Amino acid sequence: MPTELSDRLQASDAALAARVACGDAVALTPLYQRHRGPIYRFALLWSGSAAVAADVTQDVFVHLLTKAADYDPARGSLQPWLLGVTRNFVHRRTGADARYVANDDDAEPPAPALDAPTPESALATQRDIARVRAAIAALPPHYRDVLVLVELAERSYAEAAAICGCELNTVRSRLSRARALLARWLDATPQRANTAKG
Amino acid sequence: MDARSDLDRQLAALKGAVVDALPPPATDQAVATAIARAQRQSARRSAASRSGGRWLGWPLALAASIAVLSLVVRSLPPEAVMAEPAAPFARTKGDEFMALVPLGDLESAGDAMVVSARLPRMTLAQLGLPVNPARAADAIDTELLVRRDGSVLAVRFVY
Repeated sequence: MPTELSDRLQASDAALAARVACGDAVALTPLYQRHRGPIYRFALLWSGSAAVAADVTQDVFVHLLTKAADYDPARGSLQPWLLGVTRNFVHRRTGADARYVANDDDAEPPAPALDAPTPESALATQRDIARVRAAIAALPPHYRDVLVLVELAERSYAEAAAICGCELNTVRSRLSRARALLARWLDATPQRANTAKG
Repeated sequence: MDARSDLDRQLAALKGAVVDALPPPATDQAVATAIARAQRQSARRSAASRSGGRWLGWPLALAASIAVLSLVVRSLPPEAVMAEPAAPFARTKGDEFMALVPLGDLESAGDAMVVSARLPRMTLAQLGLPVNPARAADAIDTELLVRRDGSVLAVRFVY
Protein backbone atom coordinates (compact mmCIF):
# COMPACT_ATOMS: atom_id res chain seq x y z
CA MET A 1 0.00 0.00 0.00
CA PRO A 2 2.69 2.60 0.80
CA THR A 3 4.43 1.78 -2.48
CA GLU A 4 1.20 2.18 -4.42
CA LEU A 5 0.46 5.48 -2.70
CA SER A 6 3.99 6.67 -3.40
CA ASP A 7 3.60 5.76 -7.08
CA ARG A 8 0.36 7.69 -7.27
CA LEU A 9 1.89 10.75 -5.65
CA GLN A 10 4.86 10.73 -7.98
CA ALA A 11 2.90 9.98 -11.14
CA SER A 12 2.52 12.86 -13.55
CA ASP A 13 -0.72 14.78 -13.79
CA ALA A 14 -1.24 13.45 -17.29
CA ALA A 15 -0.78 9.84 -16.17
CA LEU A 16 -3.15 10.29 -13.26
CA ALA A 17 -5.75 11.99 -15.44
CA ALA A 18 -5.46 9.10 -17.90
CA ARG A 19 -6.08 6.65 -15.06
CA VAL A 20 -9.14 8.61 -13.97
CA ALA A 21 -10.39 8.59 -17.56
CA CYS A 22 -10.00 4.80 -17.59
CA GLY A 23 -12.16 4.43 -14.48
CA ASP A 24 -9.49 4.48 -11.76
CA ALA A 25 -11.28 7.07 -9.63
CA VAL A 26 -8.78 6.71 -6.80
CA ALA A 27 -6.15 8.36 -9.03
CA LEU A 28 -8.10 11.58 -8.52
CA THR A 29 -6.98 11.75 -4.88
CA PRO A 30 -3.39 12.89 -5.57
CA LEU A 31 -4.66 15.25 -8.28
CA TYR A 32 -7.02 16.81 -5.74
CA GLN A 33 -4.23 17.14 -3.20
CA ARG A 34 -1.95 18.81 -5.73
CA HIS A 35 -4.38 21.25 -7.29
CA ARG A 36 -7.09 21.96 -4.74
CA GLY A 37 -5.21 24.99 -3.36
CA PRO A 38 -4.77 26.93 -6.63
CA ILE A 39 -8.28 26.03 -7.77
CA TYR A 40 -9.86 27.10 -4.49
CA ARG A 41 -7.83 30.31 -4.33
CA PHE A 42 -8.71 31.26 -7.89
CA ALA A 43 -12.41 30.75 -7.16
CA LEU A 44 -12.08 32.61 -3.86
CA LEU A 45 -10.32 35.60 -5.40
CA TRP A 46 -12.69 35.65 -8.34
CA SER A 47 -15.93 35.35 -6.39
CA GLY A 48 -14.93 36.96 -3.10
CA SER A 49 -16.87 34.22 -1.33
CA ALA A 50 -15.41 31.25 0.54
CA ALA A 51 -18.70 29.38 0.20
CA VAL A 52 -18.79 29.82 -3.59
CA ALA A 53 -15.10 28.87 -3.81
CA ALA A 54 -15.71 25.67 -1.85
CA ASP A 55 -18.66 24.70 -4.03
CA VAL A 56 -16.76 25.48 -7.23
CA THR A 57 -13.74 23.46 -6.07
CA GLN A 58 -16.00 20.48 -5.49
CA ASP A 59 -17.66 21.00 -8.89
CA VAL A 60 -14.30 21.11 -10.66
CA PHE A 61 -12.98 17.84 -9.25
CA VAL A 62 -16.26 15.99 -9.66
CA HIS A 63 -16.20 17.25 -13.26
CA LEU A 64 -12.66 15.90 -13.62
CA LEU A 65 -13.88 12.57 -12.29
CA THR A 66 -16.28 12.17 -15.19
CA LYS A 67 -14.63 14.26 -17.91
CA ALA A 68 -10.93 13.49 -17.48
CA ALA A 69 -10.89 12.18 -21.04
CA ASP A 70 -11.53 15.74 -22.24
CA TYR A 71 -8.10 16.79 -20.99
CA ASP A 72 -5.46 16.56 -23.73
CA PRO A 73 -1.90 16.62 -22.32
CA ALA A 74 -0.59 17.57 -25.75
CA ARG A 75 -2.30 20.96 -25.40
CA GLY A 76 -0.74 21.90 -22.07
CA SER A 77 -0.44 20.99 -18.43
CA LEU A 78 -3.39 20.06 -16.27
CA GLN A 79 -3.61 23.06 -13.97
CA PRO A 80 -4.43 25.66 -16.65
CA TRP A 81 -7.06 23.28 -17.97
CA LEU A 82 -8.50 22.95 -14.47
CA LEU A 83 -8.44 26.73 -14.08
CA GLY A 84 -10.42 27.01 -17.31
CA VAL A 85 -12.99 24.60 -15.89
CA THR A 86 -12.98 26.58 -12.65
CA ARG A 87 -13.59 29.79 -14.52
CA ASN A 88 -16.62 28.27 -16.24
CA PHE A 89 -18.05 26.97 -12.96
CA VAL A 90 -17.46 30.18 -11.05
CA HIS A 91 -19.10 32.17 -13.85
CA ARG A 92 -22.07 29.82 -13.71
CA ARG A 93 -22.32 29.92 -9.92
CA THR A 94 -22.22 33.68 -9.78
CA GLY A 95 -24.31 34.30 -12.88
CA ALA A 96 -21.39 36.17 -14.39
CA ASP A 97 -22.20 35.12 -17.93
CA ALA A 98 -25.58 36.83 -17.70
CA ARG A 99 -23.99 40.01 -16.37
CA TYR A 100 -21.40 40.23 -19.17
CA VAL A 101 -21.25 43.68 -20.75
CA ALA A 102 -18.95 44.57 -23.60
CA ASN A 103 -18.08 48.16 -22.83
CA ASP A 104 -18.09 48.90 -19.13
CA ASP A 105 -15.01 50.98 -18.47
CA ASP A 106 -17.18 53.61 -16.85
CA ALA A 107 -19.02 51.15 -14.64
CA GLU A 108 -19.28 52.01 -10.98
CA PRO A 109 -18.49 49.29 -8.47
CA PRO A 110 -21.73 47.76 -7.19
CA ALA A 111 -22.13 46.60 -3.63
CA PRO A 112 -19.68 43.72 -3.32
CA ALA A 113 -20.98 40.28 -2.37
CA LEU A 114 -18.40 39.42 0.24
CA ASP A 115 -18.48 37.06 3.17
CA ALA A 116 -19.49 38.48 6.50
CA PRO A 117 -16.64 40.61 7.90
CA THR A 118 -14.57 39.12 10.68
CA PRO A 119 -13.54 41.03 13.80
CA GLU A 120 -10.00 41.24 12.39
CA SER A 121 -11.29 43.23 9.42
CA ALA A 122 -11.26 46.27 11.69
CA LEU A 123 -7.50 46.28 11.35
CA ALA A 124 -6.11 48.51 8.67
CA THR A 125 -4.50 45.74 6.66
CA GLN A 126 -7.61 43.66 6.76
CA ARG A 127 -9.62 46.68 5.70
CA ASP A 128 -7.34 47.27 2.74
CA ILE A 129 -7.63 43.65 1.71
CA ALA A 130 -11.39 43.76 2.04
CA ARG A 131 -11.48 46.88 -0.14
CA VAL A 132 -9.41 45.23 -2.84
CA ARG A 133 -11.53 42.09 -2.73
CA ALA A 134 -14.65 44.18 -3.01
CA ALA A 135 -13.27 46.09 -5.94
CA ILE A 136 -12.17 42.91 -7.73
CA ALA A 137 -15.57 41.35 -7.11
CA ALA A 138 -17.13 44.38 -8.77
CA LEU A 139 -15.03 44.13 -11.93
CA PRO A 140 -16.76 42.91 -15.09
CA PRO A 141 -16.19 39.14 -15.43
CA HIS A 142 -13.89 39.32 -18.46
CA TYR A 143 -11.65 41.85 -16.70
CA ARG A 144 -11.74 39.91 -13.45
CA ASP A 145 -10.66 36.74 -15.28
CA VAL A 146 -7.39 38.18 -16.49
CA LEU A 147 -6.67 40.20 -13.37
CA VAL A 148 -7.07 37.23 -11.04
CA LEU A 149 -5.20 34.88 -13.36
CA VAL A 150 -2.23 37.13 -14.13
CA GLU A 151 -1.87 39.33 -11.06
CA LEU A 152 -3.00 36.97 -8.30
CA ALA A 153 -2.71 33.40 -9.61
CA GLU A 154 0.57 34.26 -11.37
CA ARG A 155 -0.32 32.65 -14.67
CA SER A 156 1.44 33.85 -17.80
CA TYR A 157 -0.35 35.96 -20.40
CA ALA A 158 -0.33 32.97 -22.74
CA GLU A 159 -1.91 30.71 -20.13
CA ALA A 160 -4.50 33.34 -19.31
CA ALA A 161 -5.31 33.63 -23.00
CA ALA A 162 -5.74 29.87 -23.27
CA ILE A 163 -7.87 29.68 -20.14
CA CYS A 164 -10.11 32.55 -21.20
CA GLY A 165 -10.21 31.48 -24.84
CA CYS A 166 -9.05 34.80 -26.19
CA GLU A 167 -6.05 36.37 -27.93
CA LEU A 168 -2.88 37.40 -26.13
CA ASN A 169 -3.43 41.06 -26.99
CA THR A 170 -6.94 40.84 -25.60
CA VAL A 171 -5.49 39.64 -22.31
CA ARG A 172 -3.10 42.58 -22.26
CA SER A 173 -5.78 45.15 -22.99
CA ARG A 174 -8.26 43.65 -20.51
CA LEU A 175 -5.61 43.54 -17.82
CA SER A 176 -4.70 47.15 -18.46
CA ARG A 177 -8.33 48.25 -18.21
CA ALA A 178 -8.93 46.10 -15.13
CA ARG A 179 -5.99 47.68 -13.37
CA ALA A 180 -7.12 51.15 -14.37
CA LEU A 181 -10.62 50.51 -13.02
CA LEU A 182 -9.26 49.07 -9.78
CA ALA A 183 -6.88 51.95 -9.27
CA ARG A 184 -9.67 54.45 -9.84
CA TRP A 185 -12.10 52.71 -7.49
CA LEU A 186 -9.56 52.08 -4.74
CA ASP A 187 -8.45 55.67 -4.94
CA ALA A 188 -12.05 56.91 -4.81
CA THR A 189 -13.31 54.65 -2.03
CA PRO A 190 -11.53 56.36 0.92
CA GLN A 191 -12.66 59.75 -0.34
CA ARG A 192 -16.27 58.55 -0.49
CA ALA A 193 -15.89 57.08 2.99
CA ASN A 194 -14.43 60.32 4.31
CA THR A 195 -17.21 62.28 2.68
CA ALA A 196 -19.80 60.06 4.28
CA LYS A 197 -18.14 60.46 7.64
CA GLY A 198 -17.94 64.22 7.24
CA MET B 1 3.51 56.60 -3.72
CA ASP B 2 2.00 56.57 -7.24
CA ALA B 3 -1.26 54.86 -8.08
CA ARG B 4 0.42 51.97 -9.90
CA SER B 5 2.70 50.94 -7.05
CA ASP B 6 -0.13 51.45 -4.57
CA LEU B 7 -2.32 49.09 -6.56
CA ASP B 8 0.51 46.56 -6.78
CA ARG B 9 0.98 46.79 -3.03
CA GLN B 10 -2.68 46.16 -2.36
CA LEU B 11 -2.82 43.27 -4.81
CA ALA B 12 0.26 41.76 -3.17
CA ALA B 13 -1.40 42.10 0.24
CA LEU B 14 -4.50 40.32 -1.03
CA LYS B 15 -2.39 37.59 -2.63
CA GLY B 16 -0.49 37.13 0.63
CA ALA B 17 -3.73 36.91 2.60
CA VAL B 18 -4.93 33.89 0.63
CA VAL B 19 -1.63 32.26 -0.25
CA ASP B 20 -2.25 29.34 2.10
CA ALA B 21 -6.00 29.18 1.69
CA LEU B 22 -7.37 25.70 1.14
CA PRO B 23 -10.88 24.36 0.70
CA PRO B 24 -12.66 23.52 3.95
CA PRO B 25 -12.67 19.92 5.26
CA ALA B 26 -16.28 19.58 4.10
CA THR B 27 -15.12 19.98 0.50
CA ASP B 28 -12.32 17.45 1.01
CA GLN B 29 -14.90 15.04 2.38
CA ALA B 30 -17.34 15.68 -0.47
CA VAL B 31 -14.68 15.01 -3.09
CA ALA B 32 -13.51 11.87 -1.25
CA THR B 33 -17.10 10.65 -1.18
CA ALA B 34 -17.48 11.30 -4.91
CA ILE B 35 -14.26 9.37 -5.56
CA ALA B 36 -15.43 6.42 -3.47
CA ARG B 37 -18.81 6.40 -5.21
CA ALA B 38 -17.18 6.49 -8.65
CA GLN B 39 -14.82 3.71 -7.65
CA ARG B 40 -17.73 1.53 -6.54
CA GLN B 41 -19.56 2.19 -9.80
CA SER B 42 -16.44 1.36 -11.76
CA ALA B 43 -16.02 -1.89 -9.82
CA ARG B 44 -19.65 -2.83 -10.50
CA ARG B 45 -19.19 -2.13 -14.22
CA SER B 46 -16.06 -4.28 -14.25
CA ALA B 47 -17.90 -7.11 -12.50
CA ALA B 48 -20.76 -6.86 -15.00
CA SER B 49 -18.26 -6.87 -17.85
CA ARG B 50 -16.56 -9.97 -16.45
CA SER B 51 -19.95 -11.64 -16.06
CA GLY B 52 -20.72 -10.84 -19.69
CA GLY B 53 -17.36 -12.31 -20.58
CA ARG B 54 -18.37 -15.57 -18.95
CA TRP B 55 -21.29 -15.93 -21.35
CA LEU B 56 -18.83 -15.66 -24.19
CA GLY B 57 -16.32 -17.80 -22.36
CA TRP B 58 -18.35 -21.01 -22.43
CA PRO B 59 -18.66 -21.21 -26.24
CA LEU B 60 -15.00 -20.26 -26.54
CA ALA B 61 -14.01 -22.97 -24.08
CA LEU B 62 -16.13 -25.49 -25.99
CA ALA B 63 -14.55 -24.45 -29.29
CA ALA B 64 -11.10 -24.75 -27.75
CA SER B 65 -11.95 -28.20 -26.41
CA ILE B 66 -13.10 -29.31 -29.85
CA ALA B 67 -9.90 -27.98 -31.40
CA VAL B 68 -7.80 -29.83 -28.83
CA LEU B 69 -9.87 -32.96 -29.41
CA SER B 70 -9.30 -32.69 -33.12
CA LEU B 71 -5.56 -32.37 -32.60
CA VAL B 72 -5.55 -35.39 -30.30
CA VAL B 73 -7.48 -37.46 -32.81
CA ARG B 74 -5.29 -36.39 -35.70
CA SER B 75 -2.17 -37.29 -33.80
CA LEU B 76 -3.30 -40.89 -33.34
CA PRO B 77 -1.35 -43.44 -35.43
CA PRO B 78 -3.49 -45.29 -38.03
CA GLU B 79 -2.62 -48.62 -36.43
CA ALA B 80 -4.17 -47.56 -33.17
CA VAL B 81 -7.41 -46.59 -34.84
CA MET B 82 -8.20 -50.06 -36.02
CA ALA B 83 -6.18 -51.92 -33.43
CA GLU B 84 -8.91 -53.63 -31.43
CA PRO B 85 -12.67 -53.96 -31.71
CA ALA B 86 -14.59 -52.31 -28.89
CA ALA B 87 -16.36 -55.47 -27.94
CA PRO B 88 -17.61 -54.33 -24.52
CA PHE B 89 -19.42 -51.38 -26.13
CA ALA B 90 -20.92 -53.22 -29.09
CA ARG B 91 -24.55 -52.31 -29.72
CA THR B 92 -27.17 -53.57 -32.07
CA LYS B 93 -27.84 -50.03 -33.22
CA GLY B 94 -25.83 -49.69 -36.44
CA ASP B 95 -22.25 -50.84 -36.49
CA GLU B 96 -20.20 -51.73 -33.49
CA PHE B 97 -17.96 -49.12 -31.87
CA MET B 98 -14.56 -48.86 -33.48
CA ALA B 99 -11.85 -48.14 -30.95
CA LEU B 100 -9.65 -45.17 -31.61
CA VAL B 101 -7.35 -45.86 -28.64
CA PRO B 102 -5.63 -48.96 -27.32
CA LEU B 103 -7.94 -51.48 -25.69
CA GLY B 104 -6.42 -50.91 -22.25
CA ASP B 105 -7.58 -47.30 -22.35
CA LEU B 106 -11.08 -48.37 -23.29
CA GLU B 107 -11.33 -50.75 -20.36
CA SER B 108 -10.23 -48.12 -17.91
CA ALA B 109 -12.66 -45.53 -19.26
CA GLY B 110 -15.47 -46.23 -16.85
CA ASP B 111 -16.78 -42.68 -16.91
CA ALA B 112 -17.03 -42.37 -20.69
CA MET B 113 -20.14 -40.86 -22.31
CA VAL B 114 -21.83 -41.57 -25.61
CA VAL B 115 -22.32 -38.43 -27.64
CA SER B 116 -24.42 -38.35 -30.81
CA ALA B 117 -22.94 -36.25 -33.61
CA ARG B 118 -23.57 -35.74 -37.31
CA LEU B 119 -20.15 -35.48 -38.86
CA PRO B 120 -18.85 -34.91 -42.39
CA ARG B 121 -17.29 -38.05 -43.80
CA MET B 122 -14.10 -36.06 -44.24
CA THR B 123 -13.90 -35.82 -40.44
CA LEU B 124 -14.08 -39.59 -40.26
CA ALA B 125 -11.20 -39.74 -42.70
CA GLN B 126 -9.27 -37.58 -40.28
CA LEU B 127 -10.04 -40.16 -37.61
CA GLY B 128 -8.33 -42.71 -39.82
CA LEU B 129 -11.50 -44.37 -41.15
CA PRO B 130 -11.87 -45.30 -44.84
CA VAL B 131 -14.02 -42.80 -46.78
CA ASN B 132 -15.18 -42.77 -50.36
CA PRO B 133 -13.75 -39.54 -51.82
CA ALA B 134 -16.85 -39.09 -54.01
CA ARG B 135 -18.99 -38.81 -50.84
CA ALA B 136 -16.48 -36.93 -48.69
CA ALA B 137 -18.78 -33.90 -48.41
CA ASP B 138 -21.75 -35.91 -47.14
CA ALA B 139 -22.55 -36.06 -43.44
CA ILE B 140 -23.17 -39.20 -41.47
CA ASP B 141 -24.79 -39.85 -38.09
CA THR B 142 -22.36 -41.21 -35.53
CA GLU B 143 -22.06 -41.87 -31.85
CA LEU B 144 -18.79 -41.00 -30.17
CA LEU B 145 -17.51 -42.59 -27.00
CA VAL B 146 -15.92 -39.66 -25.20
CA ARG B 147 -14.03 -39.63 -21.93
CA ARG B 148 -14.73 -36.79 -19.49
CA ASP B 149 -11.39 -35.24 -20.31
CA GLY B 150 -12.65 -34.78 -23.88
CA SER B 151 -10.66 -37.48 -25.62
CA VAL B 152 -12.55 -39.63 -28.14
CA LEU B 153 -12.20 -43.33 -27.40
CA ALA B 154 -14.34 -44.89 -30.09
CA VAL B 155 -16.84 -44.17 -32.84
CA ARG B 156 -19.69 -46.01 -34.48
CA PHE B 157 -22.06 -45.25 -37.29
CA VAL B 158 -25.79 -44.94 -36.74
CA TYR B 159 -28.11 -45.95 -39.55
